[in-house]
Amino acid sequence: MHILDIRNVRKSFGDNEVLKDISLTVDRGEVVSVIGPSGSGKSTFLRCATLLETMDSGTLRYMGETVASMQGDRIVYTKDLKKIRSYFGLVFQNFNLFPHFSVMKNVTDAPISVQKRDPKEVRETARELLDKMGLGDKADAYPCELSGGQKQRVSIVRALAMKPEILFFDEPTSALDPELTGEVLKVIRQLADASMTMVIVTHEMAFAHAISDFVVFMDGGVIVEQGTPQELFEGTKQERTRQFLQNYQR
Amino acid sequence: MTFSTMVGELAHAFINTFLIFLLTLIGSLPLGLVVYFGKKSRFKPLKWLTEVYISIMRGTPLILQIMVIYYAPPLLFHVTLPGNWRFSAVVVAFVINYAAYYAEIYRGGIESIPVGQYEAAQVLGYRKTQTFVKIILPQMVKRTLPAVTNEVITLVKDTSLASAIGTIEMFTKAKQIAVSPRSPGMLTFLVAGIFYYIFNVIVAFGMKKLEKALDYYQ
Amino acid sequence: MKKTVSLLLSLLMVMSCVFALAACGGKKTEGDSGTTAPSEETTVDTSADAKKLIVGFDAEFPPYGFVAEDGSYDGFDLAMAKELCSRLGWEFEAVAIDWNSKDAELASGNINCIWNGFTYTGREDQYTWSEPYVENKIVLVVKADSGITSLADLAGKSVMAQAGSSAVDAINDKEGFKDTLKEVVELPDYNTGFMDLDSGSVDAVAADIGVATFNINAKDGEYVILEEPLSTEQYAVGFLLGHNALRDAVNAELLKMAEDGTMKTIAENYVDDGLVLESLCLLNK
Repeated sequence: MHILDIRNVRKSFGDNEVLKDISLTVDRGEVVSVIGPSGSGKSTFLRCATLLETMDSGTLRYMGETVASMQGDRIVYTKDLKKIRSYFGLVFQNFNLFPHFSVMKNVTDAPISVQKRDPKEVRETARELLDKMGLGDKADAYPCELSGGQKQRVSIVRALAMKPEILFFDEPTSALDPELTGEVLKVIRQLADASMTMVIVTHEMAFAHAISDFVVFMDGGVIVEQGTPQELFEGTKQERTRQFLQNYQR
Repeated sequence: MTFSTMVGELAHAFINTFLIFLLTLIGSLPLGLVVYFGKKSRFKPLKWLTEVYISIMRGTPLILQIMVIYYAPPLLFHVTLPGNWRFSAVVVAFVINYAAYYAEIYRGGIESIPVGQYEAAQVLGYRKTQTFVKIILPQMVKRTLPAVTNEVITLVKDTSLASAIGTIEMFTKAKQIAVSPRSPGMLTFLVAGIFYYIFNVIVAFGMKKLEKALDYYQ
Repeated sequence: MKKTVSLLLSLLMVMSCVFALAACGGKKTEGDSGTTAPSEETTVDTSADAKKLIVGFDAEFPPYGFVAEDGSYDGFDLAMAKELCSRLGWEFEAVAIDWNSKDAELASGNINCIWNGFTYTGREDQYTWSEPYVENKIVLVVKADSGITSLADLAGKSVMAQAGSSAVDAINDKEGFKDTLKEVVELPDYNTGFMDLDSGSVDAVAADIGVATFNINAKDGEYVILEEPLSTEQYAVGFLLGHNALRDAVNAELLKMAEDGTMKTIAENYVDDGLVLESLCLLNK
């Protein structure tokens, strides 16, 4: 059983076809990186997988449960999206922390008020996670009092507190100053070591190379090439991949 | 009339001024949210009706709205209204007028909240109402507070429009006293002005406190 | 486009409401003018059945209606109305109204009579009236040192009058007078008018003799009244057109009060407030 199984995704905004038949499966414990130039459709792909966008056509399954499928030429989404949403977490490029909630409340509010879990248990879990991420002393702080790197670590904790099966990252370090990206990447690496299933859209090539089990290169709304980091970064056969990687190494 | 009697009379009439002010706030602040939802409704007739309502409320003088609400029921529909309708009509007029302004202020506040807040809430599984009440509304309150403060201060001064239909409040009273024999005359208006000013200073202070209280986040 | 049209329509709706308000008073006047004989009334006149007089008055119109020293409403007309009610065993209520809205107040039943230095002259057909009880003069008040001594001296000058008052009518009706003036300034109350006279932004105030006398007494020697009146007018109690029963009851008692000296006794209390005893025409009959 795949954790995520998404097939034949098509998505257009007006006349602009952003995704042209994209498929991807992710299994438990796998770390998949999605790379590609801006406008290649990788963020839209992530937003389709996390239900922030509806696909024009395609199928989507989490944990073997069908979320969206084709009936004739019409796509049909299941009604029970609440349960599906509990399977995944998403870390945004711009953190999207709730500014009026303290760090603790940002992390614990959804598990308590959405998942209806025991508040005591949730707070304990949150405290452990914050400690692990080096944010133990920030539980009562408000997002505006944190640095970008701290904010992003809080938003990772917020996603983890929901106990997701799979965690998505949408360019998690793009909004950070270069000297702050390290602390966030370190946290993601910790998660990978702990066998967290993850899909990471990123521009950090060295990081993707080091951490991924599998790398997907997207361009112009299609998957140009996919494979192990070695296959992609060291022995690519595709001219477009080579060009893209060269631009990044400069 | 002695000076102190005059001040006492104004203070007494000020109770009505304050009541108009208070009842208007209690009525119009929540009603503004209802109007906002009406305007955002996907049900077209409701949306259309709300837009017309807002446009009329903002596009015609408040004093005229007060007169229409006070005189229209008995004159057009031959309804006899209770004795305190003179006061109630003013409050009704103020509430529906200010609600229209608040609806627009709320709209500005809500639309200025980044879409990422909705997306984060959605991914975390919040329902629509939960998202609005827990995530959007508190941020909207903070964002709209300066604009709301402006309206509240304007409201203090607008209460004097109640004199258009002879509702006894401080301004009506001041006008009556000022022209009466053996009264302190023009001094009455000065004292009334001081009343309004002090009240507004207190209101502004209160709103400032409220803004301070919400300063813990940005 | 659709939206614009509907917006315009709604605005029209509001406007028509307002005009309907204004028209209500006027329409009744047209329809009923000339039908002074009660026998022509088709509906039964129940106006006197309530045994309650709700007097609409302007609390900014001394000596007929104003705020007393203790803050209560007082005035010659109110005192008369109150005494009349107690003699008839009726309930008495005084409602301070905005003078510009007096027709709407009367038509809507918020009040059932206007008794407050209410000018009868020129409005004979618009209301059902009692006997006139005051014969008033509209006069012009100028500053004592202004050098203005006659109506002719006001050529090219500004004259203030209360908006909607009979003084405005008097200015309009006085043949050839208004055209000589620079402007007629209409303000909501005389208080503002006399402030303007003080400050020199108007040169004269047109007011009835009671208001004029009161203000002259209040500012000793600063103002004078021009000898030549602008007009002579009468005050009476006004009722909604057709409310003859109520009028008849009030009128009968009013005449009795004039005859048995009650009116004079009450009037003497208001001389200090500017009431001119000589203007009480019922007493002189």
